[in-house]
Amino acid sequence: MAASTRTLRRQLLAWLAAPLFVLWSISALVDYDIATRSVVEAYDRSLLETAFDIGRQIKVLDGRVYLDLPEVAVQMLQIRESGRVYYLVSSEDGKFITGDPDFPPQPEALSFEGANYYDGVYQGRPVRVVGVKMPVESGGYKGHVTVQVAENLAGRANSARQVLLRMTLPQAVLIMLAALAVWYAVGRGLAPLSSLQRELSTRSHRDLSPLPEEQAPEEVRPLIRAMNDLLGRLSQALAAQQRFIADAAHQLRTPVAGIKTQMELVLRQSPAAEAQATLKQLQNATEQTTRLVNQLLSLARAEPGAGRGQGVEPLDLVRLARDTTTEWVPRALSRNIDLGFDSPLAAARVEGDPFMLREMLNNLLDNAVRYTQPGGQVTVRVAPRARGVVLTVEDNGPGIPEAEREQVFERFYRVLGTGADGCGLGLAIVREIALSHGANASLASGASGSGTVARVEFPLAA
Amino acid sequence: MRIFIVEDDPVLADGLARSLRAADYAVDGTADGGEADHVLASQNFDLVILDVGLPKLDGFEVLRRLRRRGSRVPVLVLTAHDALGDRVRGLDLGADDYLTKPFDLPELEARVRALIRRGQSGGSSLITHGALTLDIAGRRATLAGEPLELSARELGVLEVLMLRSGRVVNKEQLAEELYGWDEEVGPNAIEVYVHRLRRKLEPSGVSIRTIRGLGYLLERPSNGG
Repeated sequence: MAASTRTLRRQLLAWLAAPLFVLWSISALVDYDIATRSVVEAYDRSLLETAFDIGRQIKVLDGRVYLDLPEVAVQMLQIRESGRVYYLVSSEDGKFITGDPDFPPQPEALSFEGANYYDGVYQGRPVRVVGVKMPVESGGYKGHVTVQVAENLAGRANSARQVLLRMTLPQAVLIMLAALAVWYAVGRGLAPLSSLQRELSTRSHRDLSPLPEEQAPEEVRPLIRAMNDLLGRLSQALAAQQRFIADAAHQLRTPVAGIKTQMELVLRQSPAAEAQATLKQLQNATEQTTRLVNQLLSLARAEPGAGRGQGVEPLDLVRLARDTTTEWVPRALSRNIDLGFDSPLAAARVEGDPFMLREMLNNLLDNAVRYTQPGGQVTVRVAPRARGVVLTVEDNGPGIPEAEREQVFERFYRVLGTGADGCGLGLAIVREIALSHGANASLASGASGSGTVARVEFPLAA
Repeated sequence: MRIFIVEDDPVLADGLARSLRAADYAVDGTADGGEADHVLASQNFDLVILDVGLPKLDGFEVLRRLRRRGSRVPVLVLTAHDALGDRVRGLDLGADDYLTKPFDLPELEARVRALIRRGQSGGSSLITHGALTLDIAGRRATLAGEPLELSARELGVLEVLMLRSGRVVNKEQLAEELYGWDEEVGPNAIEVYVHRLRRKLEPSGVSIRTIRGLGYLLERPSNGG
């Protein structure tokens, strides 16, 4: 049996149906025995009646014993639905009086006190025989005759089969109805599991909160409790992992600050050209390390399960975006990039964590300023949309090929040939933070077909 | 000018000390919070650069004790944590400024200059920016020693820009600063003053840059041009 067929429903059905089938078989055997017995009794009784009927018509006239029945009546007696009945009337000393001449001989031990039944063979067929000794008192004659009647067994077998069918068929139907009831009941009984499954499959990956237990039946609760226990341990492990990343990044910051400071100092001492080239490379590497450390920290904070200290609050996205953009002006100017802000809205209320949202915009601006060529333009906008607001960061830099626009949201993915050194965590952070705000982050090309527009679409504050 | 550096990372402490000495500050330092507390209790400095994560006594505790003794010396806190809670805590305890590691050295130097200037409030009211000098108290500006003809409002705009040189000043802030000179100053009026000011400063090489949608910025002489 394939693994896929091991459903609970099938298993329950199998476990219920198999014993039922065994019980039904046993019951059929018992039924068969009962049916056979009652059929034998009924047929035997009827056979005996026939024997009596014949016996009562034995008359004696002038010392001659004979059957006082017209041929037609005898035939009526002999013919039955199960076939012909044979008979034999003999005298006390065993002499043939009347009947079927080659009647099977009676067993020797037969005493004929009362009715006697036995099986024999007549004309090559199995027959049931009854023999009875009957008194004959007629015309002064007083004595006994033996009347024997035989009939084919085929009729009995037929009847027994029919009785058996009538008894077992309703049982089989009952079993089938029981199976249907089980099938349906299992479905009904498993409904709490289906709702649990729905609850789990519609859940966001960042939601590690316990599953509701109150609605579930007693039998499902241990499962839910175990799952909740696992969820609890999972979120603890996740939190521990994020704490570790955050701690590691924090620990790295001080030595990186040291390297950075020393690097800037040595570059001020106008070293020889050769050394200067090397130092420039070292400085780039330091910058990259700095960025990676900061991004690791952001990511650890943005991920689900991170114990974010700051809560969600109503805030003005226009103001937050303008302030954050303002902080980037010196860096943009030092790269000769024209950074600007634009918003048709005076204010845009969203629910969010201001710290994380600033972090998100920082990452978008970092990408835009880093990858746009000197002399380029970067513009941050907050604009209304159908049901919410959209934050965009547009640049007229080299742009990102359409095929790669989804991949750049993955961690450590870098667009080839961009020249600038990044570590590819920025957009992963943007997406994490957007997700945790119910917002959607995507990339498109700029209005003129070149450059990049990063869009973060926010739902309106409730 | 005496600066006291409390930083337990020797590489960073050395880098800071050497850069500040190069800018003619007298620099002392320690790597130990307890010792820092002891030194700060007995000596006077013009600025303290304080790391938060210190052995024995953490930076916040050193700061708390310093302020409890009534010292008003400017304190620049350095920290590896940029969580908002940490920043707020530092400022609540009486820090004057806050830098997250790793920082750019010029940024630190600018903050140091600003803090020392603020610490000497009541002293000189002269601010210089390249060849440009502004006497806040005397309400006069000179360019390479030559007096610059500026209206009161132009001078007001220049003052705000110079006090925040290298940083963006938005129109609302400018309007707020100018408010009180007379009736309300609208954004269009601000544009006019900036335009006039820009023309008068043109020969000096000092430029006022318009930052789209954000405001104006007085470029540092180093990257002006």
